[in-house]
Amino acid sequence: MSFLQPLLLAALPLALLPVLIHLIHRQRHRTVRWAAMMFLLDAKKMARGMARLRQILILTMRVIALAALIFAISRPLAGGWVGLLGGARADTVLILLDRSASMEQTDLVTGRSKRSTALDRLADLFDKTGSGANLVVIDSVTLQASEIPDPESLAEHPATAPTDTESDIPRLIQAGLDWLDQSEAGRTDIWLASDLRANDWRSDSARWGAIREQLAAAESRRLFLLSFPELPEENLGIAIEDVTRQQVGTDFQLSLDLVLSRDASDESSAPAKQAVEVTLNGTRTTVELTFANGRSTLPGFVIDLGKGEPKGWGRLDLPADSFPGDNSAWFVYDEETPRFTAIVSDDAQVAAAISAAANAAVDRTLSYSSEVYASGETQRIPWNRASLLVWNSELPAKDSNTARLLDQYLARGRSLLLLPPAADSEPSAGNQPESWRGIEWGERIQSGETPPSVEWWRTGSGLLANTRNGDPLPVNDLKILKRRPFSAPDTQSFLEIADDESLLSEVITPEPGHLYMLSLLPRQDHSSLASDGIAYFVMLHRALEQGANYATRASLRPVLAESEPNSSPVDWLDQRRAESSAGSELRGGALRLNQEGSDSVLIAQNRPITEDQPEVVSSAALDNLLGEGGYQRIDDAVENDRSLAAEIWRAFLIAMALALLIEAILSLPPPPDPALQEKGLSPSSSQ
Amino acid sequence: MSETTQRDFLDPAVLGRLLSLPLNARSPMLGNVAGRHRSPVKGSSLEFAQYRKYVPGDDTRRLDWRTWGRTDRYYIKEFEADTNLRLCLIADTSGSMDYETGGTESPMSRLQMVRQLSGSLAYLAAHQGDAVGIYSGARGVEEEIPPRRGPSHLGVVLDQIGSLAAGGETNLVAAMHEAAEKIPSRALIAIFSDLLFDPEPMREALQHLRFRKHDVALFHLLDRQEVDFEFDRPTRFVDLEGGPALLADPSLIEKPYREAVGNYLAQIDEIVSQLAIDYHRVWLDEPHDQILARFLIGRTPRTAKRNG
Repeated sequence: MSFLQPLLLAALPLALLPVLIHLIHRQRHRTVRWAAMMFLLDAKKMARGMARLRQILILTMRVIALAALIFAISRPLAGGWVGLLGGARADTVLILLDRSASMEQTDLVTGRSKRSTALDRLADLFDKTGSGANLVVIDSVTLQASEIPDPESLAEHPATAPTDTESDIPRLIQAGLDWLDQSEAGRTDIWLASDLRANDWRSDSARWGAIREQLAAAESRRLFLLSFPELPEENLGIAIEDVTRQQVGTDFQLSLDLVLSRDASDESSAPAKQAVEVTLNGTRTTVELTFANGRSTLPGFVIDLGKGEPKGWGRLDLPADSFPGDNSAWFVYDEETPRFTAIVSDDAQVAAAISAAANAAVDRTLSYSSEVYASGETQRIPWNRASLLVWNSELPAKDSNTARLLDQYLARGRSLLLLPPAADSEPSAGNQPESWRGIEWGERIQSGETPPSVEWWRTGSGLLANTRNGDPLPVNDLKILKRRPFSAPDTQSFLEIADDESLLSEVITPEPGHLYMLSLLPRQDHSSLASDGIAYFVMLHRALEQGANYATRASLRPVLAESEPNSSPVDWLDQRRAESSAGSELRGGALRLNQEGSDSVLIAQNRPITEDQPEVVSSAALDNLLGEGGYQRIDDAVENDRSLAAEIWRAFLIAMALALLIEAILSLPPPPDPALQEKGLSPSSSQ
Repeated sequence: MSETTQRDFLDPAVLGRLLSLPLNARSPMLGNVAGRHRSPVKGSSLEFAQYRKYVPGDDTRRLDWRTWGRTDRYYIKEFEADTNLRLCLIADTSGSMDYETGGTESPMSRLQMVRQLSGSLAYLAAHQGDAVGIYSGARGVEEEIPPRRGPSHLGVVLDQIGSLAAGGETNLVAAMHEAAEKIPSRALIAIFSDLLFDPEPMREALQHLRFRKHDVALFHLLDRQEVDFEFDRPTRFVDLEGGPALLADPSLIEKPYREAVGNYLAQIDEIVSQLAIDYHRVWLDEPHDQILARFLIGRTPRTAKRNG
């Protein structure tokens, strides 16, 4: 138990005052010369039972009453988790706040979300117990520490506003621990408020090991996990995976790939029909969709555009339920941009193979084109038009003009595929300028009699992921004759041969664009890429589409936790109603990006689709991630009224009153015994 | 004359008032001289007793000639004999008799009350020509003055009363048995005691006295505090009869104490009513003249033929 005025507890020995007074009272006896000793002896024998018990009870009640009074004026705190507050008071209270979209799950009665409930609870707790301590918040979006001067203002702070982002909890904890190390905070209570969603907790993150070690090493830190693991009982969700503007005859229509989700308390219940409000450029209509239990995709949901505007925005809305975050999905559309591939190569055979693949029309409504540039003609490349740039040439030196152009290209979200440059153009060793982004090509390796075979490729995501219906690409058949291994600082491999040697990797970049490296060339004498072309074709077109998504003037994207450095002015066409203006760029909506020197771009921002996944980290997994015993878990729910710490002095006052009442009842003189009166105890009775 | 002449326990004013009330025996007495008390034998007083048939040998002077004249039968007319009364005082002088009532402005000890009551009774009895004796003691009869008539004997008895001193443990029962044996013929026996002992053995002693045809009056001297037990704080009770002292919290033992007292008094009441003892519960704060007046009036026959 914790007390707001613990010093007053020093007065607790005063509770023994009644016992002391009783003993003094006994000592201050008077002496009487007495004749009727026989009655006294009899009475003493009889008084050993109830009367003594009564006296002990009376004394106990007096002690309890005094103790309760002292406890009451010490202002005790209690609540579901009052026991946690025992021990030393913290110098710093660090709140790590999960601001992911799923934290906006709301109690329909109170209208309070998990996030706001957590903030209220923590503000209340800090208000009651944290006097003198620093209150610091680090949120999952900015990962920056903000000092909160007044617990009341915690909920209004910009760093605690709702978002439609995804969280990286290990990164958040790491940021908290790093901040604690830097700020050299003393005793610290770390409160991590989260809804334990598996996608936010990222059990496979490499950071967990270090976090466990750091938590175990620091004795002055206590980690409290304020969790809201409750999932919505009845929830409908809608998300848009893709939007395509198609021409049908002379009219146009939008084809939306929807993901419908339904979490029902009764899993066997029949699919539910639900009216969905479709807003197109501000005009509302209603359609009825069928929601099966769990997640289902609805490809090709059609919205007629007629001959209307070639570009615009729209929104799909579900009626309010306990998770408002997945009730709205935004989309934008515009005329499709041509898929243009720029090829920088001096090798005609390579250029032809790439060009042939890039020009093949996957979608007949679009135009595909490519152009080949010699390695010296980079200034001719139309950077703005290209969705994919295949770079089969020497890498530019760091800080060179070409390197800057490539950086800008990636910053615009386009795709760049690096192919090994020709062997004869290898620069001589020594006096070599620093390479662009630390990327190096190794020596060309000629395969022996038994060429290496593909050992593994990433089937879940990336360029070689399985097809939509789950079939793997025929990557196994790839023949490798010549290869040129590469090295880069931070990569994610998609294709590996023996000894974990990667043939295809994505270099992780801070920009939205994708940078891929392939150690093979699409030449007969290098590999079977071009001849057995399926995997190669798919790979190339996936990279092209990724770039085209950004090249297009209308795109869907998730709300990003780390907002890109974006100096372009933004016009919001539509936006989720924000509680405050702060952090509005982190909410779902449709916006227009007015780029300098080019057309404006429409963007629909939606919550990451992973936020809809209702999986919650299990207790065992939590123990595994944070280290068993390394944290205190407090499960809460939005509809709970209790606070983390409530003042319970009233209970003690009631206890005191009760004790006094019992004491008074016990102290009442016994009623006159009629039997005794009959026995002649009235004065002057005579025979 | 005894060396003790202090008789402040006698109040002339009280005695003067009480002299108008005769001290009667409730049962016939066997005196040695003529007096004012009924005797079990028939005699020559003015009080007509009965007629009985003449049997040869009867004194012909006592034949009722008038009845013979009316009925032609011989009847003897008998009259009550009046005799004197022997008043035997038995005073308990155990340590507990030294108890003084507290809380009143004029403290009164039990023994003092005994002196007042017994002294006044002795005076009243002697004044109407009855014999007075006193037996006193704690563990038995320790001091004994057999009943006799005459003013000088009264002086001896009053001296003895004046010199009563309390001490030692109680054995009044033994004293009562002893007195029953020693007092030869019917007498009025007045016992003064606090009776603070188990009442059951007393039953036999009283039976013994009643068997000897004595008229027994029992003055039970109690203080209200001993019955009500009204103490407000822990008290150390020192035994007047030399037993170990006892520290007690009255709030704890008040109820059982009263219960014990109630049982005790009920037992006493049962004994005295069974044995037809003239029992008087005397509170130490009562004026002794009231007690005596009550005692004397209670002994006056309802149809007061002789004194009416």
